Amino acid sequence: MNEQELEQLAQRLGARAAERLDVARTVQAVVARLREAPRVSVVTRLWLQPAWLKVAATVALLLGTGAVTRGLWRSQGLAPAGGEATAAGLNDLSTDQLQQLLEIVEHPTDEAAPVYPADASLDDLTAPQLRELLRSLEG
Amino acid sequence: MPHAEPVAAVPTDAALIAAWQGGDEQAAAELVRRHARALARFLASAGAPDADLDDLVQETFIRAFRGVDRFRGQCRFRTWLLTIGGNVLKDAVRRARRAKVVPLAEELRATDGDPHERAVAGEAEWRLREGLGGLTRMQREVFLLRAQQGLEYAEIAAALGTSPGAARVHYHHAVKRLKEHLA
Repeated sequence: MNEQELEQLAQRLGARAAERLDVARTVQAVVARLREAPRVSVVTRLWLQPAWLKVAATVALLLGTGAVTRGLWRSQGLAPAGGEATAAGLNDLSTDQLQQLLEIVEHPTDEAAPVYPADASLDDLTAPQLRELLRSLEG
Repeated sequence: MPHAEPVAAVPTDAALIAAWQGGDEQAAAELVRRHARALARFLASAGAPDADLDDLVQETFIRAFRGVDRFRGQCRFRTWLLTIGGNVLKDAVRRARRAKVVPLAEELRATDGDPHERAVAGEAEWRLREGLGGLTRMQREVFLLRAQQGLEYAEIAAALGTSPGAARVHYHHAVKRLKEHLA
């Protein structure tokens, strides 16, 4: 069998199964399921993006560090002015952590990255993407 | 002399997607009507059991509509939909394996288990389906998108997140292995 015959055979494959599909019933079922569970809003999806999660986690870390530091200073009678808490939080970060923070802030999203189907799983990630994910999890 | 009736403009997939994003259910319904059979054909060829085909088609559309904000026109909507179908099928097979219903290889071959159906389908089609079940997922999907759907390597690559060159290599490996299987 040559390649052309193979392609012709492939074009016939699944035709009968597709013909048996009740399209009208499928339409009704899909629309009914969409009504049951409305889709997630764009804003929610944006917040589900890993880059946004990183930024959010970083901000939370900074605020938390600042609050703890301010609490310590207050207990010592050294209440700082507004911006100093965040600065103190930054001062507590190591050089590597600061570099990582700068990278995240400077590149919050990767516009050039290929777009994968909405339901892509860990199995669908490439090796560099897996390494990046591990790095982000390890902090 | 009869007057020519104005032809109603058929909305493009992009227009229907935009309408669905704006909350128009009928746009979603039209997309299902437009692509359901092609999706069913792809899934059946990729090894979806006949008994599960309806459910797999529905699940694919649901996932696609819920994640449509991530579709940026990098390929045609149908191509994107078929790749989601591939993921839905993969998940279904994985669930079946966890439940130990049937082994993966048999699951992918179980489409036409009925001997009568098999005779009707023809021995060559049966063996091709069997051969497809033995390919890697990437080889199988690239082969079907190319040979069955007639897509260019660039579009296949965009949909599957690989390069056109890699898609071409997957296709040729698939053809080689299928030829060996059918020989």
